[in-house]
Amino acid sequence: MADKVDQEQPVPASSLDASPVASGSVRYIRGIGVTVVRIAIIGGFFLLWEIASGRWIEPFLISSPSRIFSSLITGFRDGDLLQHTWVTFEEIAIGFPVGAISGIALGYAFGRSRLLAEIFEPIIIALNGIPRTAVAPLFIVWLGIGLWSKVGVVFLLTFFLNFFITYTGMRQMDQEYIDLARLMRVKGWKLTFKVIFPAISPYLFTGIRTSIPFAVIGAIVGEFVASTEGVGFFIRMSAGIFKTADVFVGIIILMIMVVVMDKIAEMIEKRALRWQTQTEHIQIQA
Amino acid sequence: MADLAQASLESAQNQNDFVIKVEDVFKVFQTPSQANLSALEKITLDVRHGEFVTVVGPSGCGKSTLLKLIAGLSASSAGRILFQGDEIRGLNTRVGYVPQESKLFPWLTVEENVGFGLDPKRYSRPDRERQVNYFINLAGLAGFEKYYPAQLSGGMSKRASIIRALAYEPPVILMDEPFGPLDAQTRMVLQDELLKIWEQKRQTIVFVTHDLVEAVALADRVVVMTHRPGKIKDIIQVRMSRPRNIFEIHRQEGFDDAYSRLWNIFRHELNIGTH
Repeated sequence: MADKVDQEQPVPASSLDASPVASGSVRYIRGIGVTVVRIAIIGGFFLLWEIASGRWIEPFLISSPSRIFSSLITGFRDGDLLQHTWVTFEEIAIGFPVGAISGIALGYAFGRSRLLAEIFEPIIIALNGIPRTAVAPLFIVWLGIGLWSKVGVVFLLTFFLNFFITYTGMRQMDQEYIDLARLMRVKGWKLTFKVIFPAISPYLFTGIRTSIPFAVIGAIVGEFVASTEGVGFFIRMSAGIFKTADVFVGIIILMIMVVVMDKIAEMIEKRALRWQTQTEHIQIQA
Repeated sequence: MADLAQASLESAQNQNDFVIKVEDVFKVFQTPSQANLSALEKITLDVRHGEFVTVVGPSGCGKSTLLKLIAGLSASSAGRILFQGDEIRGLNTRVGYVPQESKLFPWLTVEENVGFGLDPKRYSRPDRERQVNYFINLAGLAGFEKYYPAQLSGGMSKRASIIRALAYEPPVILMDEPFGPLDAQTRMVLQDELLKIWEQKRQTIVFVTHDLVEAVALADRVVVMTHRPGKIKDIIQVRMSRPRNIFEIHRQEGFDDAYSRLWNIFRHELNIGTH
């Protein structure tokens, strides 16, 4: 039982020292303070925007929060905004998981097979050198202006990110875990899913979460190049006829998409990595 | 009756059999500058069934390398190692391995870690649970079954790491300075527990350490290794009765004798170093 004590956190010796890890009530008040300041900053920004629009800056350049809000409402009520959102969502919903899974699978395969890595690594690095959005027009040529060309671009952006991060994870993995498992006669399916994937799971989640915004970028770039529907199409079309409020509506929809996807990924990550000890903020004491 | 006699004869033979025979083993590492670094030279060593052997020597003498060779995690440059009569080629899955750091799988709970090596084909679910519970209780980890390794203290993860290797009952356990990073008290408590656990099952243990007291206190025989290139300098028989009292090991008959023989060898080594 004495064991439980031996890793106790050191208690600050002096009460003069205003410790950043404070007691419950202080932390609670601090939490409220953070929220208040945050709301004040956001509210102040929108207020300034609303005032500036029409007084100091032309509304067709920056629109205004009230105009954007009413455009958002009418767009969803009687426009085809829902349809545009759905189309973009569909492109991401197909391209993103397929890209992430194949990226992870290839990163895993490279990590396991030295031969595979030796043959293909330079090729993959060369391909990665291509600015991927520059390939978007090519996808339009190959796959047409419909859904599949956008799925292709989303796939491409998601795939490479997940591949590289997974492969990095495989190379950083502690060999001793594998050795131990193999000495315990663990192999095949169990070695892959009970040892290797959990060992690299922090990398997997980093890959998935960093590629979420890129998946959305892929869909929008694809739609910018050539399309007849989708949020990217909506933004480009609205900008073309100076409906600036609608441009912002499109941007807001994309932002919400990214935030929602990231939140979902974060929830899954928190559950999957609950074995990890989280460091909240690194403190560097003077 | 004949069967019984046969069985006891066999077990008597097994007692005399060597479970590990290391024969003239060399290990040479290639350094990045293409120079050859000789880690082990002409190592010959036999380990009997149920024996507790410690290997002691200064850091960098190749003790850990020797364990890696027995586990088949690395191949010898010359010579051969027999395990239960067969030459080791590739991974030796008949050993359990306790590494220097605990290396519990951090994504598994204590009970999942301990049960990890229990093959579902050999152990039915109730057997498996019984086995895991037995070892968790033996190691004093009851109540911590659902904890993750990150939530355990150093001593507790060490215990869990040891019973993880014991639980699936490999005939030989290899331990690589398992108590190295622990404080003196925890270390003694764990040495005591290790001996108690071992006395129940009597699995063969090869235990690497750089601590002379630990080497004598635990072992039936102490293998003394010298600094690079690692050679076996001597093998000392420890004539102390079991069960032993780790906490008063100095007072036990036979300790002084073994310890002073061991210390003489090291003193000699140190003298050579200073001249």
